[in-house]
Parts: sequence; structure tokens; C-alpha cells
Amino acid sequence: MGGPPLVALQELGPRLFDWGWVSNNLTDEIIPALQGHIFLSFVSVAIALLISLPTGIFVSRYRKAYPPVTFVTGLLFSIPSLAAFALLVSVPGIGLGWQPVVIALVAYSLLVLIRNVVAGIDSVPEETKDAARGMGLTPRQILFKVELPLALPIIVAGVRIATVTIIGIATIGAYVGGGGLGDLIFTGISRNFPTRVIVGAVLATLLAVLADLLLLWVERLLRPWARARRA
Amino acid sequence: MIEFRHVSKTYLGSSQPVVNDLSFEVLEGEICVLVGPSGCGKTTSMRMVNRLIEPSEGEILINGEPNTEMSGTRLRRGIGYAIQQIGLFPHRTIADNIATVPQLLEWDKDRITARVDELLELVGLDPDQYRDRYPAELSGGQQQRVGVARALAADPPIMLMDEPFGAVDPINRHRLQDEFLRIQGEIKKTIVFVTHDIDEAIKMGDKIAILKEGGILAQYDTPENILAAPNSEFVSSFVGADRVLKMLSLLRVSDAELDPPNGNGDLPRLRERMTLRDALSELIGSGVERGVVVSDTEDGVRGTLSIETIRRLSSRAEAGQRGE
Repeated sequence: MGGPPLVALQELGPRLFDWGWVSNNLTDEIIPALQGHIFLSFVSVAIALLISLPTGIFVSRYRKAYPPVTFVTGLLFSIPSLAAFALLVSVPGIGLGWQPVVIALVAYSLLVLIRNVVAGIDSVPEETKDAARGMGLTPRQILFKVELPLALPIIVAGVRIATVTIIGIATIGAYVGGGGLGDLIFTGISRNFPTRVIVGAVLATLLAVLADLLLLWVERLLRPWARARRA
Repeated sequence: MIEFRHVSKTYLGSSQPVVNDLSFEVLEGEICVLVGPSGCGKTTSMRMVNRLIEPSEGEILINGEPNTEMSGTRLRRGIGYAIQQIGLFPHRTIADNIATVPQLLEWDKDRITARVDELLELVGLDPDQYRDRYPAELSGGQQQRVGVARALAADPPIMLMDEPFGAVDPINRHRLQDEFLRIQGEIKKTIVFVTHDIDEAIKMGDKIAILKEGGILAQYDTPENILAAPNSEFVSSFVGADRVLKMLSLLRVSDAELDPPNGNGDLPRLRERMTLRDALSELIGSGVERGVVVSDTEDGVRGTLSIETIRRLSSRAEAGQRGE
């Protein structure tokens, strides 16, 4: 095919959206792509959280470790995503597929997640911790019964930002064979078929919005005491 | 009950101690108030009792045993702790806040529920109305009541209270002080009470330890003795120029010898439970020499009280304390 694919798309005009294609390919292409996308995003956020929680707790205790951690995760965050995927593919043992995508998405989430874990723990009032100590809670009990519950809404707020960001970036992962909604977009571009591009983009956006609302709901649920204050 | 033995605290990297060779004893069932200007080490001294701070020198005995005999967390579970900023857990209901230490001590559920309700009643909050609320739904005064209830939860024999009524307005503070003294009359805890307010110290203390900068104990005695005979320039200036009036605030109208009633209905009425200070103020304010003393319910006349009697009483109190 001649010329850059995006220019070709522009010339299509009237046949922009083909409903017939959507109903014919719903079960064997669109839904699997959506599922793949949810899988990529969910696994990435989950792994990132598993890394960020202990790191954030550690860093909130050993403050000196915070600047280097922010520096490294900030650096990871600033790598252009396409370059990150491509570089990871060339690393021996990773190759094409969902693995390089998940690794890159995890790396992107670390900065915001660790920051919010630390901010959440920092937000616990000093007198609350003092009262807890004074009543004989052990350091571990203070962490799990006081600090983390109070930090949770801020941590979930971080998860919201990370999730929305990841759902967007994950579409690019299709470039290295990661699957997901990016598949529809990339094949749509290369085959001059805008319906695929639109379906992929709209579903990715909807997924991001829904995930955001779901997590917002979780955030509220985790903070009954603040709801009570407003009442 | 609690004995400080040559306790000093110097923080790492500082040459000046914040608490300097502190020795005194708090008797069982007494409120000992640590009072002094900021930087006198009163909070540090209190926090060494439950080992939130470890002394650099000396030791603190509780019932004759050094407080280092058991782990810090176990020690703290047996000592009530209430602070000015209250520090209620915002994510837990009032009932859960109060139940903190009983839960740590693994009381069974029914016992905890009953204890929470009992304590809410004790501090004047209706259990049905408050137990399931969150701290943010309560006023400052109500939160301080919950803070005190939480400190009392496991019925510890010893309580540490750091300006526990400091975060409320003066009217509420007086009410909370009165209520707490009433509660203390029933529960008879041994209490170390920190404040920077000499009036609060005089009102709350069975004994007062006045500390000065650098954590030095300036005087340790009953409020009456400190007011009658301050042992230094520092103490008398800390106590204030109105120390005679403060002394009168420790005495009640019922403590005075009354003159027989002479049937003059125009005189101001003084209730028996009024402090002599308030009675004096009432008399001076009314521009008269004497007032009629009535019972607290104002249904019986007890006699009359004159400014002269109050004056005699105050000089006798002063002389009496000095003579000891």
C-alpha cells in the first residue's frame, strides 16, 4: 500500500464506520481484544501495587531512601513508551508478547503509586500515632491498624491515576505483540479500515472511564468516616 | 505508687538536659500536676512514666518496681493515656476508639460492649446516640470526653494526661475539669497530669510539681502550701500576684465560720458550694460588707458571711501553712 497509512485513512470519508463489521466480529475479535486489554492493565497494576506498597512503607520509614527511589521511578516514567516496548523486546528472555508490555506498564505505574503510598502514610496525624503508641500498640499494629487504613484512600487515588494511565498506554503494547485493544487500532491503520480504529479507541476510553469510576467508588467505600463528616 | 528517682533526660547531641535530676513521689489515688513554662520538661517527664521516652539517668518506680521490668508496649497497655490533641482514630467509630486497649488485651466482645457503654455514660455521652459515630461528627469537647473514656477503658490504676482539656474553649474546659474531678472522686486513679496553666494545676492537683526551665523541680507540694508559701522568686512569680485570691478559690463558703443570720433580705445570696474567691467577688461587686449564705438548693439560710471573715480566714490559712 502506498503513502503513510494515516493519510490513507483520511481519504475514506463516507465509509467511516461499518456496523456490519462490528456485529460480525464481536465475539471472535472485539471481545477477546477487550479481555486482553483488561488482563494487561489489571495484571500490571496488581504487580505494580505489590512492589509499591512495601517500597512505599519502607521509604516512609527510611526517609533517606526516598529521593533515590523517586529519581529512579521518575526516570522510568519518562522513557517514551514505544521505545520502552521496543527495547524490552530486544532483551534476551523477554521477546515479543504480553511480557514486555506488562514490564513497561509496571515501570510506568511505580512513580505515582509509591508517591501516593508515602503521601498516604505521611497524612496520618502525628497525634493519632502518638495516641496509638501511648496505648500500647506495637509498631506493626500501628502500621496495619492505624497508618495503612488511614492511608488507603490516598493509595487508591494513586491506583486510579495509574490505572487510567496504563489503560491508555497499553494500546501501544500491541506493537510488540501484547494484544489488547491496540491490536484493533494497529490493524485498522494498516488495513485502511477506520471502524477497527474507532472501536479500539472508544472501548479503551470507556474502559478507562469505567475503571476510574469503579475505583472512585472503592475510594469512597474505604472512607466511611469522611462520608459521615459530610452528612 | 509512682516514684521518680533522680531522673534526667538529655537528648542526643544536646548538652543541656531537658529534665534534670527529678525526684518525687506520686501517692496512690492522687492527681499530681506537672506545671511550668514551656521548655520545663513536664511533658517529657510524663512520657518517661510509660516509656514513650527513656530516661538518660535515674529510674521510675511503679509500685516499687522499675518500669523497665516489662516491655514498653505491655507497660503502656496498663497505663491510661490522654493527650491534648486527643488523637482519636478518625477511621474508627467512637465505640471502637474506646475499645482500643480492651481489644489489645483480648477481652471478650460482650465485656467490651458493656464497658464502652459504661464509659460513655460516665463521661456524659448517650451511648445509643454516640457509639456508632465517627470522631469527625463530634464537637471538640465531646472528642475530649471520648479521649478520657478511651484512656479509662481497661480500668488502669495509673493515668497520664497531657493537657487533656486543652483543646476546648474556657467554658467547656471548666465543665470538663469539674466532671473529671467528680469522676476521679469515684475511680481514685493515680494520675500524672501535665498543664501549663497554673489555675488548672491548682484546681486539679492534690499535689503540684512546679518545674522550671531546664527541667528542674522548683517546688513540690499541695496547692495550698505552694500558694501560702512559695519557696522561691520563680515559684511566686509563676503562681502570680493573685495568689491570695487563688488560695481563696480552694476554699468554699461552707469552710468559713458564719455569723448568725440577721434577717436582712437585701443582702446578696451566697451558696454554700461557692468558692470564697467567688463569694468575695460577689460581695465587692455588690458593694456590701456581708452576704446571706444559703444552702445549695437555696431553700435554707445558713448564716451570713462578711468580707472581714474571708480576710481573717485567708491570713490564717497562710500563717497555718507557713507554720508547718
